[in-house]
Amino acid sequence: MELLLQGLRKAIEMILSGDPVILEITWRTLKVSLTAIMISTLIGLPAGMMLGLIKFPGRKLILTLINIGMGLPPVVAGLWITLLLWRSGPLSDFELLYTPTAIIIAQTLVSLPIVTGLTATAFQQINEKLIMQIKALGATKIQLVLILLKESRLAILAGIIAGFGRVIAEVGAAMMVGGNISGETRILTTSIVMEVSKGNFDIALALSFILMTIAFLITFCLTYLQQRKRSQ
Amino acid sequence: MTSLITIENIEIKAGDKPILSVPRFELRQGEVLGVMGPNGAGKSTLLKTLALLAPPGRGSVFFQGQEVGDVLALEVRRKFAVALQQSLLLDTSVYHNIAIGLKLRNRSRKEIKEKVAYWLEVFKISHLSKKHAYHLSGGEAQRVNLARAMILEPEVLFLDEPFSALDFPTKVQLLKDMKQVVENTKTTTVFISHDLVEIKYFTQRLIILMDGEIKQSGPTAEVLSSPNEAAAGFIGEWSELLS
Amino acid sequence: MFKIKRAFAIMLIMLVALMAACSSSTGNDATKDEPKESGEVERTDIILATTTSTQDSGLLDVLIPMFEEQQPYNVKTVAVGTGQALEMGSRGEADALLVHAPDAEQELVDSEDVVNRQKIMYNDFIIVGPADDPAGIKDAAVAEALTKAFDAKATFVSRGDDSGTHKKELALWKEANLDPAENGSYVETGQGMGSSLQVAAEKKGYILTDRATYLAQKDNLGDFEIMVEGDESLLNIYHVMEVNAEKHEKVKKDGAKAFVEFMIAEDTKKTIADFGVEEYGEPLFFLFE
Ligand SMILES: Nc1ncnc2c1ncn2[C@@H]1O[C@H](COP(=O)(O)OP(=O)(O)O)[C@@H](O)[C@H]1O
Ligand SMILES: [Mg+2]
Repeated sequence: MELLLQGLRKAIEMILSGDPVILEITWRTLKVSLTAIMISTLIGLPAGMMLGLIKFPGRKLILTLINIGMGLPPVVAGLWITLLLWRSGPLSDFELLYTPTAIIIAQTLVSLPIVTGLTATAFQQINEKLIMQIKALGATKIQLVLILLKESRLAILAGIIAGFGRVIAEVGAAMMVGGNISGETRILTTSIVMEVSKGNFDIALALSFILMTIAFLITFCLTYLQQRKRSQ
Repeated sequence: MTSLITIENIEIKAGDKPILSVPRFELRQGEVLGVMGPNGAGKSTLLKTLALLAPPGRGSVFFQGQEVGDVLALEVRRKFAVALQQSLLLDTSVYHNIAIGLKLRNRSRKEIKEKVAYWLEVFKISHLSKKHAYHLSGGEAQRVNLARAMILEPEVLFLDEPFSALDFPTKVQLLKDMKQVVENTKTTTVFISHDLVEIKYFTQRLIILMDGEIKQSGPTAEVLSSPNEAAAGFIGEWSELLS
Repeated sequence: MFKIKRAFAIMLIMLVALMAACSSSTGNDATKDEPKESGEVERTDIILATTTSTQDSGLLDVLIPMFEEQQPYNVKTVAVGTGQALEMGSRGEADALLVHAPDAEQELVDSEDVVNRQKIMYNDFIIVGPADDPAGIKDAAVAEALTKAFDAKATFVSRGDDSGTHKKELALWKEANLDPAENGSYVETGQGMGSSLQVAAEKKGYILTDRATYLAQKDNLGDFEIMVEGDESLLNIYHVMEVNAEKHEKVKKDGAKAFVEFMIAEDTKKTIADFGVEEYGEPLFFLFE
């Protein structure tokens, strides 16, 4: 209990004092996680829409694989990516291992199935007659897609929120492919693991409060966006 | 009367099962056409074909004498409006539901505002303007659905059992209002219904569709009073109930 | 285009804006290798594989900036388990190693996976435990102390994580001809040194730890004291080495060489010897004279 209070005090202290290292780590965490979820959204949204709306052979198989992917353990993703990016691996020429980009790739890999899968589910649930009705109202293909996106925004944002939750909490893969390098790839989760291993529980706790705060704020914004029209 | 929409050589199948088979059919300018037939006869499929919402297979659809291909489809479809049995309103206010078609056509904000106000008035739902579409009663939702179609000032209005889910008084009221609107605007209308009263009251011409084929076509009163051999099995029993 | 609803528009704009912000700022990261200030030379990344305990001591936080100031390299310090650090060396995934597992290192030298191995410094392991010393092991020789703790069935906490410290501990048990696992009071945490010390404090058990971590944590541990220290078998010897660029073509030979040379330079040695004195009143690492 005392440790908790101590951690909370330390967190406030570190934020108020504007500790440049903490700010840098927090900023990098935000950058990396938001970029990852953004990429997942940019890929997963159209992909999920197509999987939900268009029937083609092999679709069930892909949906099954995506559902399996939703449970992909981050460390497994991290391990695969490490092997690919290694100097002895096929993608070594990009020199991406131990860079923020590598973390973004790993986080995208673990959040993409969630965003895609939940979007696909949302679009599978759309009444076919609604699609016909929107076409009948004179919508072009793009307008149709935009309206359907808007109609499914609750489910889509739920997917993005779930994906973001996974990304911001992820540590195994970030540790493995990022290397927790000071000033380069150290993010909040990897710092927490490191500080715990050093026995600096108060700093670890303080970092955990910062992590929870930004996770809360972003999830809150997304949830607000998700719910705002409903309350009218 | 001139033909507004003509379909030719329509053969639609689901697998091997024929759903709609119409060698030739004309929808005439200004008429209110009724379509009756048992469940699964292909009525909705016919409506979708006429409204360019389903591919005509190997057949053709002509609008004002011109064949409608992929290029023309959107342009022509924007001259039509459709209201189905389910109101299928969007997740937004009544106002925006009615405005949607005009927004899709990039009409000015001012025009949209005026027209929405007008059609809210016509369908007697002005007081619901700000209400969310999901909080309406069945009758109110269907009024919004019809206003959403009529605001487009369509050259052809397609109605697929729009009143069948409503209770009796609501249905009667809405039917009367709708007939008024269609007469005032002289809108060519295709009206699918299972209800002889609705058909009798609303339509001038009637076709009987069974097993995907048009079995009889003629003035409504005539078809109802003297169905031919093929249509008799369907119409006959109905007429008995009424007489 | 038709006007979409405001909420939806905001959502899209936010996504795009964040996207733009993020891609431009990750762009900054990507150009980090390039001159930070005008006139500075282009930097090459080199990967230094080391152990978690080395990183946790904080020594590298002092040494790496020093090195980067002197040389045109950017060091990516990857702190992993001893086993993984050595494996990274033998696979050519790192350019230089800073580790403390002499026997295993020798294998890499023999297989020519690493070259130019240099002895740098040592710190020592100590056995610590609750001040009331339930098994009475204080100031005994290592083997004797372990035997006493074993016979008294005193709680003994082990990292159990295959780390250098864990390996050291197992070697010490072996020398004392004991199998600690036979004792029900032997606790394996599977965690790092800091966490394991906390567990030991919680369970009032003995534990083998490196001095640096113990000193750094002493205040959090309550009534804990050093029980055994100074024995030669408790030394923890650090070597730095280059991964062999002849054998692993992607290794950055020049950078690795520069790092090894930096580590044995006089200035560096002085920094190592002074490290920790100010904070803990005694050095954390010692040089070989
Ligand atoms: N997408 C479809 N796939 C397969 N069969 C369909 C499809 N749509 C309609 N049908 C079949 O076509 C026939 C005609 O349907 P429909 O036009 O909806 O009939 P109605 O509106 O007269 O009740 C029915 O037997 C129906 O089961
Ligand atoms: Mg039908």
